[in-house]
Amino acid sequence: MEDFFIIFKYLLITDFIRQPTIIMKRILQLVLIFNLMYGGLMAQEDIYPANDVRDNRPNIYLFENATIFIDHQTKIENASMLVEDGFITARGTDLSAPAGAIKVDLKGKFIYPSFIDLYSSYGLPEAKSSSFSYSSKEIITPEREGAFYVNDAIKADYNASEHFTSDEEVAEKLRKLGFGTVMTTYRDGLARGTSALVTLGKGWDNELMLLTKAANQLSFSKGSSKQTYPISIMGFMAVLRQTYYDAQWYATAKNESFTDNTLEAWIQNQSLPQFFDAPSWKNVLRADKIGDEFGVQYVVRGGGDEYQRIEEIKAANVPLIIPVNYPEAFDVEDPLDAFNVSLADMKHWEMAPANAAKLAQAGIAFSFTADGLKDQSDFLKNVRKAIKYGLSETDALKALTATPANLLNMDTQIGSLRNGAVANFIITSGNIFEEDAIIYENWIQGKPYILEDKNARDASGYYTLKVDEDTYPLEVSGKAGKNKFKLVVNDTTKVEADAIVEGELINMSYVLDKEDNMRTRLSGWFTENGMEGKGQLPNGSWVAWSASYDSAMVATKEEGAEEEGPEINTSITYPFLPFGLEEKPTTQAYLIKNATVWTNEEEGIVEETDVLVRDGKIAQIGQNLTASGATEIDGTGKHLTSGVIDEHTHIALDGVNDVATISAMVRMEDVVDSEDINIYRQLSGGVTAAQCLHGSANPVGGQSALIKFRWGNAPEDMLIKGADGFIKFALGENVKRSRNSRSIRYPQTRMGVEQVFMDGFTRAKAYDEAWANYNALTAREQAITPMPRKDLMLETMAEIINKERFISCHSYVQSEINMLMHVAEKFDFNVNTFTHILEGYKVADKMAAHGAAGSTFSDWWNYKFEVRYAIPYNAALMTMAGVTTAINSDDAEMARRLNQEAAKSIKYGGMSEEEAWKMVTLNPAKMLHLDDRMGSIKVGKDADLVLWTDNPLSIYAKAEKTMVDGIIYFDRTQEEEKRAKVEEERAILIQKMQAAKKGGSPVRMPSRSLEQFWHCNDLFFGHLAGEEK
Amino acid sequence: MLKHILKIILALFTLPLLAQVPAPAPPQESPIALVGGTAHIGNGEVIENAVIGFEEGKLTIVASASSVNDEQLSGYEQIDVSGKHLYPGFILPNTNLGLVEINAVRATVDDEETGGLNPNVRSIIAYNTDSEAIPTMRFNGILYAQITPEGDRIPGTSSIVGLDAWNWEDAVIKTDDAIHLNWPRRYAREYDYATFSVNRVKSKTYAEDVQAIEMLMEDAKAYIEKGVGNNLKLEAMKGLFDGSTAMHVHADAAQEIVESVKVLKAYGIQKIVLVEAEEAIHVADFLSEHEIPVVISNVHRLPDKPEDAIDLPYRMPSMLMQEGVEVALMYRGVTNARNLPFYAGTAATYGLSKEEALQCITLNAAKILGVDDMIGSLEVGKHASILVSSGDALDMKTNIMEHVFYEGRKINLEGMQQRLYKKYKEKYESQQN
Repeated sequence: MEDFFIIFKYLLITDFIRQPTIIMKRILQLVLIFNLMYGGLMAQEDIYPANDVRDNRPNIYLFENATIFIDHQTKIENASMLVEDGFITARGTDLSAPAGAIKVDLKGKFIYPSFIDLYSSYGLPEAKSSSFSYSSKEIITPEREGAFYVNDAIKADYNASEHFTSDEEVAEKLRKLGFGTVMTTYRDGLARGTSALVTLGKGWDNELMLLTKAANQLSFSKGSSKQTYPISIMGFMAVLRQTYYDAQWYATAKNESFTDNTLEAWIQNQSLPQFFDAPSWKNVLRADKIGDEFGVQYVVRGGGDEYQRIEEIKAANVPLIIPVNYPEAFDVEDPLDAFNVSLADMKHWEMAPANAAKLAQAGIAFSFTADGLKDQSDFLKNVRKAIKYGLSETDALKALTATPANLLNMDTQIGSLRNGAVANFIITSGNIFEEDAIIYENWIQGKPYILEDKNARDASGYYTLKVDEDTYPLEVSGKAGKNKFKLVVNDTTKVEADAIVEGELINMSYVLDKEDNMRTRLSGWFTENGMEGKGQLPNGSWVAWSASYDSAMVATKEEGAEEEGPEINTSITYPFLPFGLEEKPTTQAYLIKNATVWTNEEEGIVEETDVLVRDGKIAQIGQNLTASGATEIDGTGKHLTSGVIDEHTHIALDGVNDVATISAMVRMEDVVDSEDINIYRQLSGGVTAAQCLHGSANPVGGQSALIKFRWGNAPEDMLIKGADGFIKFALGENVKRSRNSRSIRYPQTRMGVEQVFMDGFTRAKAYDEAWANYNALTAREQAITPMPRKDLMLETMAEIINKERFISCHSYVQSEINMLMHVAEKFDFNVNTFTHILEGYKVADKMAAHGAAGSTFSDWWNYKFEVRYAIPYNAALMTMAGVTTAINSDDAEMARRLNQEAAKSIKYGGMSEEEAWKMVTLNPAKMLHLDDRMGSIKVGKDADLVLWTDNPLSIYAKAEKTMVDGIIYFDRTQEEEKRAKVEEERAILIQKMQAAKKGGSPVRMPSRSLEQFWHCNDLFFGHLAGEEK
Repeated sequence: MLKHILKIILALFTLPLLAQVPAPAPPQESPIALVGGTAHIGNGEVIENAVIGFEEGKLTIVASASSVNDEQLSGYEQIDVSGKHLYPGFILPNTNLGLVEINAVRATVDDEETGGLNPNVRSIIAYNTDSEAIPTMRFNGILYAQITPEGDRIPGTSSIVGLDAWNWEDAVIKTDDAIHLNWPRRYAREYDYATFSVNRVKSKTYAEDVQAIEMLMEDAKAYIEKGVGNNLKLEAMKGLFDGSTAMHVHADAAQEIVESVKVLKAYGIQKIVLVEAEEAIHVADFLSEHEIPVVISNVHRLPDKPEDAIDLPYRMPSMLMQEGVEVALMYRGVTNARNLPFYAGTAATYGLSKEEALQCITLNAAKILGVDDMIGSLEVGKHASILVSSGDALDMKTNIMEHVFYEGRKINLEGMQQRLYKKYKEKYESQQN
C-alpha cells in the first residue's frame, strides 16, 4: 500500500496532475482519499542515507481551541485541527486526539493557511542583465552555444527546479512575513522557462519542491542576452510572437532537419499555467494582447498602478500579481524644490495603497507579492494598509492564499486548510490583519518554525515594586512577549525599565535619576501574585525585591506616529496626468456659428458660415443654420479649420526604435502611450491625428500606429480603426549608423542600403509564393507537405509588395530617394510617402512621376551632413512639381505649431494660403489614406475641427477649441480653471506629504522623471527639453 | 595678356565661389532716405509714414514725413517704402553661429573647448564669417549676434558681431563682451539604464561646485589686486570687476538664479545677465529688484513640466516684463535661430504688445549686451541697420525682407538656399513650359 501511495504522491508533485481535465481531477480526488486513509503511515521516507540510527518521529499534532481559517471565507471558532505527517487530515469542533498525537492548546489564537508569493526568485542565482553601452558593436547572431533559439532572450529551456537550492537566510525572512510557499522564477529573458513551486521549509531540496514545473514564465525585460535585437517593448512583443509561430511550425514535426532545444521546451511548457512579468498597467494590457492573439490567458505580474485604468484591466480580465511597494512621500518642505516633484507621482503616492481595493471592487483576481519592497518586513504592514484603503479582510486573505493557489491549480494542496492539504499554516495572536497581531509560528509541511514564543507570559498589570526599602508603582503594559515596564517615580516622572521576560524568569534594570545615571539591576522569577528576586543596587550591595500584582492594566492607546488617513483627496484622471479628465468625454452636437471656414474643398475659404456637428461627424455646412439640441459656439471673427494632421511623430509612444536591419515585424500599435502630456499640448496647437512612426535606425523600421489625439482614452482606443497599414523605411546616415564609429551592422553605406531592400523584397516575394503554393494544396496534400514557417518580418514585407501596407520613408539625399523608387518599381509597387525628404526638391519631378508624396520640415537643416542642402523652399518646389506635399514635425514641440510651419512656405516660395494650409491637413490625410474621412470640412467627414482666434497661418493665431470626433478635447477658455485644479491638487498633496513626514513616515528627496522626446535616431533614451537635435 | 589670364583664373574660381556666402556690400556712398513706411523704432514707438534717413552708415533722420521738409532731404536718394514695415536689425544673443557648421560633423564644431574653466577662451577668433548659416539669419532680419561658446562651467568669452563682414575683425561690434558661466545645477539629471528613464534628482556636488566658483572669484580678485602675474584665466576676468566685461550666467532653477546673483554680487561683479532662466518667473521680483536682465531661452519650446501651463514658455516674456524685468530673446541652435523674429511674434500673441515684443529682439537685446549706443533702435546717430519688410516681420507669413541695410550698406540677402531654390525653380518652370 505504501508503495502505491508513493506513486500517487509522486503524481501529486508533477505537472501531469494539473491538466485541467476531469480525469485528472478524479485522480487528484483519489490521491486525497489515500492521503486521508493512509496519512498516518506516511512516515519520512528512508530515502536519504543517515549517519545515525533512524529517528523518525510520530509527527501527529492536534491543535486545539483555536480560531481556524480553513480558507479565506470559512472561519471556525474554538476548533481543532489535526496534522499528520505533513498533511492536514481533519478539522472541526469535536475532534479527538488519535493515539500518539501531541496536543497544542491555542486558546485565543488563530490559524491561517500560510501565504503564497507567486513572484519570487528564492533559491535561484541572481539574473544578470546585459550591460548598456551607447556605442557598442552590434551583435546580430545568437551568442549562446548549442542547439538553442535564434534569439538569446528566449530561454524557454531554463528550468528553475534544476537550479534551485534552498536558502535558509532568505527563507527565514519570508517565513516571518507569513509565507509558506513561493513560486520561484529565474528572471532572465523574455521567455524565462519554467518556475518551480517550493516551500520555505528547511531540509532536503527534494522535499521542499511541490512542483518542478509550476508555470511557464514570460516577461518584458530582455535580461542577459547580448544580442542587439530586440531593445524595445515593441521588439520584445515581436520576438515573443515570432517564438509562438516558430513553435507552432516546429511542432508540426515535419522539420526533422532542424533541432531547437528551446522551442521543444517552449512547446512542452505550453501546458503549464502561463505567467507574464509586466509591471505597469500599460504592460499588463500589452501582455494580455499577446495572450489573446495566441489563445493564452496569462497571470500577469502588474505594477501596482492598475487603479489608473481599472476599466481596461477589468475588460482584459487578467489575473494579477501585485506588489505592495507603495511609494514613499516626497520631502516637499521647500516649495521651490517641490517643483521637482510631479503631480502624477504625488497622486500615485496617495492612491497606490488603494490599488488592491479597487481591483477587488472590480472583481479582478489578484494575489500579492512581497517583491519590490525596499524592506520586505513591511509586507504585512502594507497589506494592512490596503485594508485601511478599502480592501476587505476576506479579499486580502484570498489574495494571500486561495487566489495564488488557484492560479497554479494547486488549490487542493496549498492556500487552504482543507483535508489533504499540505500542512502549511501560521499561528497568530489574533486577527492577522490587526496592526499589532503577532505571528507566533509558521508551520511548513508539518514542521514548526517558531518566530515568537506563543506561550510567552503576559505580565501586564499594575504592581507595587519594592526594592530594599523603596516602593514604587510599576506599570506593565503591552502584549505577551512584548511587555513594557515603567516605574512611577513621582506624580510627574515615569522611568522606563529595560526588562526581559524569559519563561518563568525576569530581568529588569532601570535608572531612577538621569543626572547620576546610576542603574539598579534586578533578577527574579514570577510568583503567584507577582514577582520577586535578588538585585544589585548601583553601589553594588545586594538586596531582595518584589513586585506584587495589584490590578489588570487598563488599555491605553499606544503612543506613536499616527498613520496618514486612508482618505483620498485628489481624483483619478484619464490620463493620469495634469489636465487629465475625470470622466471620459462623450460626443455632443455643436453648432459653430458665423466663422470663417477653411473648407479645403472647392468652396475654398468661406466667411460667415455655420458648421453643425452631430454624432462625431460634420452634419451640415451653411449659413444661418439652426439645430435643436446643439450647443452653439460663436465663431464670429474666428477661423474654423479641419484638424491638423501630423504625418510624422514619435509622441504618444513608449519607445521608438528597434534595431534589426529589417524591423518590419515590430508594431508601433503595441506601444501607443496614452499617458503623454504632449497629446494635450498638441491638441492645444490644433493637431487631431498623427502617424506614430518607428524611428530611423534601420532601413526597414516597424509598422506605424495611426492615432487620433483622443485625450483620456486608453491606448487601443486612440488607434484609428480601419486605417490602412503603414510602415517606416529609412535611408541615409541613421541607417548606416554613422554616429557610431564601432558599428559593424550591415549596411554601412548607401550602396548596402539598396541591397538590404532588394534582399528583403526578394525573400518576401519567395515567401509569399511559398505560402500561396501551400495554401493552394488540398488538405490531404497539406498533411504530407511541410508547412512554410510563418515569418512576421517577411509577411510584412510581402504586404508592401501586395499593396496592403504603405511606406513612409525617412529620406534626405536625392540619390537614395531615386534608388528607393527604382527598388519599388522593380517589385511593382509605389513608395507612398517620402518623409523629411529634404532634398525632395532635387528629384520632385521624379517623385511626381512615381506617385510618391513628400512630407517635409519647413526650415530645418544643417544639423547633420545629409541635411546640408535642405532648403526652406522644399515644400514649395515639390508642390510646384506636382508632388502631394505636407509639413511634418518629428518633434513634440514643433508639432504644436504646424500651422506656423506651413505658413513658412508663404515666405519661402510664395505659396498661396490655401495651399499652405492643406500641407498640414488635407495633404497628410491623403498620404495616410484618410482623406475620405479627414482633412477637410465636408459633410460626412469626421468632426475633427479647430476654432482659431485668427487666420491659422498667422503667428498671432491660437487654437481656441480643438475637437476630435465631435468631442472638444481642448478648450483654451477652460485652461485657467484646469491649471487651478492642478495647483489645488498639488497643494492638497503637499500638505498631506508634510503631515506624513511630521508623522514619522519616511520621505525621499524630490525628484522627477523627465519627459523624453523621441527623434528618429534615438535608441535607448529620447532627448530632453532644451537639448539640441 | 597677364591680366586676361588672371581673369580666366578668377573666372574659374567663380564656380566654387558660387557656393560661398555673398560678398559684403560696398560702403554707403550717398545719403539714402526711406520714405513712407511704418517705422518700428525698437524702443516701443512706431512712426507711421516715416522718413528714415542715413548717411555714411549712421542714421541721420528718424521722423514722421510730415515733420521733414524737402531741404532736410536734399542730397538724399529717396526710396519709396510706403506700405512697408521698417525695423532696426534684429539681434541674436547667445548663439554658436559661425562656430558650428554642422553639429553632427565633429570637424565643423568649434564652440566647446575642453577644460572646465575657460574665461580666457575667446569665441571671436573662431567666428567664421563664411558660415552658410549666416545668410539664413540675415534673410529673416537678424543682423547682429553674440557669438558664444558653450561647454562646462565657464565655456569662454563671447563677442558681438555684425552679420555682413569679410572676416571676424571686420565683423566685430564689441570684442569680449561677456564671460559665460554655467551655474551648477542643484538638481541634476540621472540616467537610469535599467528603465531607460531620466530623473531629475538632487545633486550631491552642488555645494562643492558653488565653492569652486567662489574660489575662482576670490583668486581672480586677489590676482587683479596684485596687479602682476601670468595667469591667462584670471587675467581674462579683470573686466568683470571694473564692469567692462559682463558676466552672463546660465541658470535655470529659481534657487540657482538667486544664489548665482548673490554670489556674483558679493564678489563685486558689475554687470550680471541671466541667460536661459527656465524658472525666472518664480523669482521675478528678485531679478527686478537687483536689476538683472534676462535673455530667455527658446520661446518656442515645451513647458519644462507636465504641470506647467501649456503656453508658459510663450507667456514668459510678458510675465517677466510685467514684473519689471528687462527681457531679450534667444535661440541656441543655429538651425532654428533664424526664427528669432517669430519668437517675438509668439511673445506678442501671448501677452506683449507687438512693439514690446520687437524690443525683446532689438533695443532690449542691445542694452543687455551693452551695445545700445550703436544698435538696437532706429535712432539718430546709431548704425543705419534697417530692415524693410513687405509686412509684419514678426509673422512668418509676412516677414519678407525687400531691402536690408547694414550700416547703410544695402546687403545681398541671397544665400546658398536662395540659389538652390532658383536653380530648381527654373528647372521645374522649364519642364512646365
